[in-house]
Amino acid sequence: MSEQITVERAAVTLDEDYCSNCSTCTSLCPFEAVRRDPDTGQTFLDIEKCQVCGLCYSTCPAKAIDTLYYDVDSLTRYLEKAKQEYDSDILVIVCKGSAPDFAGVEKLFGVEKFIPLSVPCVGRVPEEIFLKALAMGINGMYVLACDTDYCRFERGSAVTSRKIKGLNLLLEQLGYGKESITLKRHSLKVKADTDLCISCGNCVFYCPYDAAKLESPGVVSFDLAACRGCGLCVAMCPAIALDLENWESERISALISRLSSEMQSPKILVFRCQWAVFPPLNGEEPPPNIRFIDIPCASRVDISHILEAFQQGIDGVLIAACSEEDCKQERVSGKTQHSVALLKDKLSQLGLQDRLHFCTAAPRYPEEFDKELKQFSQKIEAVGAKEVK
Amino acid sequence: MIVTTQKSLDEILDFISPYKNIFIVGCDGCTQPPRGLKEAKILSQLLELAGQLRNKGFKFKTATVAKQCDLYLAASILKPQMESVEAVLCLACGIGVQELAQLFPEIPVFPAQNTHFMGAEEREEGILEKRCAGCGECLLAVTGGICPVVRCTKGLLSGACGGSKDGKCELSPEKDCGWVLIYERLKKQGKLELLKELNPPRDYQLSGWRVTT
Repeated sequence: MSEQITVERAAVTLDEDYCSNCSTCTSLCPFEAVRRDPDTGQTFLDIEKCQVCGLCYSTCPAKAIDTLYYDVDSLTRYLEKAKQEYDSDILVIVCKGSAPDFAGVEKLFGVEKFIPLSVPCVGRVPEEIFLKALAMGINGMYVLACDTDYCRFERGSAVTSRKIKGLNLLLEQLGYGKESITLKRHSLKVKADTDLCISCGNCVFYCPYDAAKLESPGVVSFDLAACRGCGLCVAMCPAIALDLENWESERISALISRLSSEMQSPKILVFRCQWAVFPPLNGEEPPPNIRFIDIPCASRVDISHILEAFQQGIDGVLIAACSEEDCKQERVSGKTQHSVALLKDKLSQLGLQDRLHFCTAAPRYPEEFDKELKQFSQKIEAVGAKEVK
Repeated sequence: MIVTTQKSLDEILDFISPYKNIFIVGCDGCTQPPRGLKEAKILSQLLELAGQLRNKGFKFKTATVAKQCDLYLAASILKPQMESVEAVLCLACGIGVQELAQLFPEIPVFPAQNTHFMGAEEREEGILEKRCAGCGECLLAVTGGICPVVRCTKGLLSGACGGSKDGKCELSPEKDCGWVLIYERLKKQGKLELLKELNPPRDYQLSGWRVTT
């Protein structure tokens, strides 16, 4: 095999010609990806450390930083299109990390009809988008961010509050009244059905945050302030006693069967960690045989959901997770990789091993995931639909 | 815990292929991970998938028992659920399989697992190792809590054989020498003098086949 050197297109770039070395980005970057060179004093971007949270992009006063995801242009285009589509003058921006379903949003803000905008971290939305939305005739603006302590990008949620505070003051001075933008917080949490708990202690072992407690004698209890809603305990519970708020097993099952029914053969279902792959806002429709389920963390992928997909007629299941280093939780993606490998072993006894694939991806190189998906779909197309022997 | 591993799907499919309505019964008892409701569900999904591929429609239902080796507990949970069940597939150890087979003598009860030994898990590595031989005369008080019957390949009761190298067994070089482990443990406890005592040969009758409570 010849070694190929390919230059991947990075999702975030810094143009040194525009940069005034003001330090806004270096002080905000949660991952020390933008730094100042101690010798030259020049600000530079270390893309390998970048998690594409977009904080630097949305706060750079010199517009020296550019991003492929959710930039001002694509957000504006989305708003223009979505305003027609949803026929509403209310905008709800939610962070993917904390987002409940639409019914949940309705309950939290008391709004029925709205334009939904779901982004990985609300902190990435530049101020001018709010102003553009107002100019487009949008009257009500609601923002749902993660609780500050649970922000997957550490500082994104805090930056969001500061931005909205500033914007609200500005808008008040401009005569729009007080609190034009409403900010609320929400986080995913585990739910336990203690009637089903068998006190095995698996959740205590797997929880990276010491949120699960088991006293003897007794059943499990969770310290919800410590729970970060990764869903690993849910996937690992042998008693089916746990669930993840807003990502309940039943909801995922319903999603699998709905997606399967609308797909063409050979059907490929992709479970994507929403921090590993950022779907483009104004992207093309996926091919008719490929559908995505964007989950809050790869660790929420349950073996029984993968099997359910195969049972529902899916021909190939791809799981895209962050690498352990990039994992927004405590390196839990490796646990999922292990579970998937064990399942693959079982599936090999049925001759289905090639139909399940685990890959890692990071939004910093968008083409990486596209390549994985292309390879996998070529493989599934080559083996075709599952056949009855 | 009692350590079991799942049989191949082919073997399980051979057992159940003459039947349609199959009851998969988990056991929350001593295995790790507990082979409870979730394992029962996953096995049913795998076998259904195998059935789909082989044009064979199985109908599974699943349940779990806190410990299948308790005949009374198993009876109270499972008896009300046996209607139209043609075969039982059991996720417990060999004891659970036999208890269910005794409970339902008219119905075939099949093991889904192979039963290995009484052991413990190195959880980070997911490795399960034998820890107790059930010999009937426990020596752990004088061996620093490390069982020589199991951990020494030769099962020597009184000290190392002399073939140990770098803390490993001469017969299975990947395996720690049980007596080196015992030595290190007793050294930590300041009890090396225990090694000078000879342990009498085992009375193999004590392992036994029946005791009274």
